[in-house]
Amino acid sequence: MTRRALLMLQIVTGDPRPITRQITDGIKRQIAGGDLLPGDALPSVRGLAQQLSINPNTVAKAYAELTAEGWLLSRTGLGLFVAEQRQRLSDEERERRLAEAVDRFVSDVIGLDYPQQTILDRVAADLSNYETKKTA
Amino acid sequence: MSDYAIDTEDLCLVYKRKPALDHLTLRLPRGGIHAFVGANGAGKSSLFRVLLGFEPAASGSARILGHDCRRLTPALRERIGFVNEEHTLPAWMRVRDLTDMQRRQYPRWNDARYDDVLGHFNVEPGQRIGELSRGERAGLNLAMALAQGPELLILDEPTLGLDVVAKRAFLDAMLQGTLDDAGATVVYCSHQMDEIERVADNLVILERGRMRYMSGPDDFCERIRLWVAAFPAMVPEVRQLPGVLQVQVIDDLTHIVVFDQDDSFGARLKLLGAHSVQAMPLGLDRAVNAFLAHGHARPVANLLAA
Repeated sequence: MTRRALLMLQIVTGDPRPITRQITDGIKRQIAGGDLLPGDALPSVRGLAQQLSINPNTVAKAYAELTAEGWLLSRTGLGLFVAEQRQRLSDEERERRLAEAVDRFVSDVIGLDYPQQTILDRVAADLSNYETKKTA
Repeated sequence: MSDYAIDTEDLCLVYKRKPALDHLTLRLPRGGIHAFVGANGAGKSSLFRVLLGFEPAASGSARILGHDCRRLTPALRERIGFVNEEHTLPAWMRVRDLTDMQRRQYPRWNDARYDDVLGHFNVEPGQRIGELSRGERAGLNLAMALAQGPELLILDEPTLGLDVVAKRAFLDAMLQGTLDDAGATVVYCSHQMDEIERVADNLVILERGRMRYMSGPDDFCERIRLWVAAFPAMVPEVRQLPGVLQVQVIDDLTHIVVFDQDDSFGARLKLLGAHSVQAMPLGLDRAVNAFLAHGHARPVANLLAA
């Protein structure tokens, strides 16, 4: 029996991230954090658009991106499901994305004047959340 | 069949001795929701008057669903829906009679969708239009427009004056409707950026009777960035730099919104003496605001200060 996942997503208008990106980020986080499990069924395009009061095309676009990147799996006639997660990216691409994310993060926090260790601890604490959930 | 829902070329119109449309060339592809944004007086209402055949243009051509706007037939008008911001409806008619009339006029009339929208308003079939509040009249008007199932639906500030529940009900009905009428085109004029962010497939920015910009809203935001620079003493003349839309000095920092500039813009600021520069993306609201502020009327005092 497949589980129809409830997507606890919040859309914020006025955010610099476009809505498509807010959806893809949110779903990736929930998959990485174990809230969504492989085989879970995603809400329909119509359903999620209604839940979030947004254009169905935006949902379709977000789903297409996630499917192309291997996070979701489309089964003809049945809809979308969370795919078995494996490393989907080449080493160079992983390295490039990590560098980009670190760069963005550093420029975001550099002006906040926290001691370096405080920032590192906070990041480590956040990451460890995902570790425990994944193995649980 | 024309690929464009709306197709104008070099369209000019003078309204009350002011040029309302200034050589407007606009090709709007069929399908999806196109959000029209513009300052007051950008020419949106003038454009609709020409498109719907209410007023002939001074020069240029205008086509709607592939047909010349000067010669619209009843059969073609049937396929076009229009909701103006005043929600003008005959005050003396009863709701029931008005709805019956519309149902007869439009063969694709969809009762379920009408009920879906109007159900959120406290409107009785026996009431006269004149007895309804502004919000109730808007609800009735929007319910009728969506029920008509038009190929092209033009909505001018549709949610103005609606309360939050009614607004959400209307937006949901419209968005879900786009799934059922695949291929239908909606033109959505609004000053509410949060609404536009939710609904728009395509963003069209009009300014002083011309089209300034058209693309998906995400692509638009990607091309706009905010640079914040700290200049040690005097702020140099950054307004002259390429792509600058808006400059604000806030405390000791100069905030510069730019269009289509890469990281080399930061290098330019450093060359001008900035000892720190930082770039960040902007949300749709601020991005559109900066884009429009560029050409917007300003009090003379502001111009001098700038």
